[in-house]
Amino acid sequence: MSEQGQPTEHAKAAEEPKVSPAELKKRAKAEKQARRAAQKEQEGATGEVPPAANGAHQDYTAQKQSGQQDQKGKGPQAKGQPQPKPSKQGGQESKQERAGPSTQSMPVRGKAAPTAPSKEQPKKDNTVVELLSHLYPVQRRPNLIGVSKDVHPAVLALGLQISTYEICGSSARCVAMLLAFKEAIQAYTTPRDTSLPRHLVSHHLSPQIDYLRSCRPLAESMGNAIRWLKKLIVELDPDKPEHEAKDLLCEEIDRFVHERITVTDQAIASSARNQIRNGSAVLTYAKSAIVEKTILQAHEQGTRFRVIVVDSRPLLEGKRLATSLMRAGLEVQYVPFSGLAHVMKDATLVLLGAHSMLSNGRLQSRVGTASVALRAHKTDVPVIVCCESVKFSGKVALDSIVLNEIAPPEELLLSSPAQPAVHPTAVTTATGKEVSEDDEPAAKLKSLHDWSSIANLRLLNPVYDITPAEYIRMVICEYGSVPPSSVPVVHRLANEGM
Amino acid sequence: MATPRPSSSDDDAFNIVATYRRVLAEDPDLTMPVAAIESLIVGLANTPSTTVSETLDLVSKLTAQLKSGISNPISLSAGTDLFQQYLISNLQRARGDFDQARNHLVQNGRLFVERAKAARETIAGFGKHFVRDGNTVLTNGGSRVVGALLRNAAESSNGSGRGSIRFRVIYVVSHSTTGNSVEESETAANIAALRERDIPVAEIPPTAIAYCMDMVTSCFVGAEGVVENGGIVNRLGTYQMASLAKAARKPFYVVSESHKFVRLYPLGQYDLGIEQNIVDFRTAKGSERGKKEAASDEGVADMEGEGVRSGSGSCTPGDEVDYTPPRLISGIITEGGVLLPSAVSEELIKIWF
Repeated sequence: MSEQGQPTEHAKAAEEPKVSPAELKKRAKAEKQARRAAQKEQEGATGEVPPAANGAHQDYTAQKQSGQQDQKGKGPQAKGQPQPKPSKQGGQESKQERAGPSTQSMPVRGKAAPTAPSKEQPKKDNTVVELLSHLYPVQRRPNLIGVSKDVHPAVLALGLQISTYEICGSSARCVAMLLAFKEAIQAYTTPRDTSLPRHLVSHHLSPQIDYLRSCRPLAESMGNAIRWLKKLIVELDPDKPEHEAKDLLCEEIDRFVHERITVTDQAIASSARNQIRNGSAVLTYAKSAIVEKTILQAHEQGTRFRVIVVDSRPLLEGKRLATSLMRAGLEVQYVPFSGLAHVMKDATLVLLGAHSMLSNGRLQSRVGTASVALRAHKTDVPVIVCCESVKFSGKVALDSIVLNEIAPPEELLLSSPAQPAVHPTAVTTATGKEVSEDDEPAAKLKSLHDWSSIANLRLLNPVYDITPAEYIRMVICEYGSVPPSSVPVVHRLANEGM
Repeated sequence: MATPRPSSSDDDAFNIVATYRRVLAEDPDLTMPVAAIESLIVGLANTPSTTVSETLDLVSKLTAQLKSGISNPISLSAGTDLFQQYLISNLQRARGDFDQARNHLVQNGRLFVERAKAARETIAGFGKHFVRDGNTVLTNGGSRVVGALLRNAAESSNGSGRGSIRFRVIYVVSHSTTGNSVEESETAANIAALRERDIPVAEIPPTAIAYCMDMVTSCFVGAEGVVENGGIVNRLGTYQMASLAKAARKPFYVVSESHKFVRLYPLGQYDLGIEQNIVDFRTAKGSERGKKEAASDEGVADMEGEGVRSGSGSCTPGDEVDYTPPRLISGIITEGGVLLPSAVSEELIKIWF
């Protein structure tokens, strides 16, 4: 630990003269990262054997030494250059990603399987799917223990609501976050010897953001909003009286929510509803607020059509959509995911919501969306994505492995633990591989609820998947209808040009 | 809108649709969007307006009139949209001296028309590199810009008119009895011009496209409009030619001026926002169409929100268009360079935001 601490100190000393808040923050981040790595290193040091799946097996010990140094060298400097994802993604995961497989993710795996890879810590080992180990949150916050004292009560409450999916959906989370930040900003007082633009972001806002991130990884929209807010704060005139500055910020936040989400939703819905014609059958998957709005508007307009809601476990969000559409008097067909191929034959249009639109035109959305889009593409049904530009992202992903979120696997379990052993082959991971149980007779007596103690069984509960751009016929955003290839153009225009 | 009386009475006197048709007839070199812009400028010059919003209002009124008066307004709407956007961005900037700004605009508009005509030559300059020695080029008739491109390719390399580039051209000609005579004479003129330049030209009926496809090296077509996703709207038969080219893995190029980029996003053939009488189911009792119309007349994409085809009647035979999706198009040759279909939306966003 101490050995690792030193180089960072040196780097710090060298950089001391030019200190700007941004740099300070970067440095703090780098240090944190180094510390965490060191900690992991030590934990794993008892006896590391990298998993066999890892090709870098032999080089590992060598890398361990050189890797650490080079990481420290890299730390501050890597931060210096513009990061593609500063602070919007889960800090822990993104940091691990950044460090690359050679340095940081290794210790994580290492600690899982010591020299005797057998059953020393079978529990830990069992809960993580190794391919996706970089996605697991270091610890998903179950309660409020250890939360920084700076976190505002409104943000505290919001964090709990988000982690229990009470507030779900990336726009809703974004709006709720901004509203909570408004309260947090109002509660802020600038300490003496500093000014609001210099102090607010790094000392008051960051703990709030870190806390929210520990509740659930931040959505792309939240990242975009946070970046916008930070930029706004930093550009404030330092001589402005504090209450004026705070009022201004709150006003701007209101304006942002109004312009980028409320009005935008309206605009998208009224443009998307024209795609619904008389006699169409609109298929949708899970629940998207904006798709719901579109369908309801088309219905109010007097268009005669029916809706097919495809839904899947574990969240069963489609149920709520189906209910609300039924209440509005629409003809709704509610189908489980397994009935997808059957209902796709009748569909004339697929409307999808988005978690995020990535810069290569791919869609990140609720897990299962890719299959729906694939099926629609094969059946030649047009797939339309409704997405506010605040959800557009500069990131690029080719698969669902690099960017994703892993929800607690317990969500996959059915609620009654008394059930006779659910055969685990029924559990299929998102990557398509089947996890099967050992054939030992003893295991048969266990139910899926004991999954963490069953050797060779993993549960995986990814939240999102990535839909290739070829399957998407049109993206409707507030800038009109664009092909998925124009996502980067709109992103530049909307999120970076502001 | 409290418009002064003289202006509104002038409005009635000025017939935008007639002007548009006259402009188009007077100059055979003019494309539909440019003709639309020119007639809007004429309308603007004829009608006194004193404020920015009055001018904008007038233009949008004229545009609506024009669109409703023409059976297939896709192509011309590219021009009117462009003009409107140009007006908005320019008039709002020049708030101070309105009269001057307006005159400037009218003059600039003329300049735009000139430039649009010149674009054809620029495109031909880009496009001729796509025609090489020994190539066999497949094209369908009616496009002036393709004609210019092929002529340019035939003439290139030495000034005597006998170019070193030797290629062959297959023209798809539909000799329909009801065909558009203007277009047919244009095709004939193009063919004659090529033959004069020692380029062998074959004429085939549309039914023979698949038969010829094996000997073809590349296809060139024009476009009435290039839509937002990079697909094109063009005369009937283009889609089928593109499909056949794709099936035979031959490159399929669209040659089009960038003022034909139109803010329309069709998802399929029946999504163009125009009424076409192509598929006409009949029984012994007569056409099914009359009954059907009553049932579904909402199957129309909105362009600018207004009812587009009110009072327009369906297209005359020979004027029908189809939509070619972007996946069948290898490249779009414009005066700004050769674009992939996906770049069209980028260009449009640049214009609009």
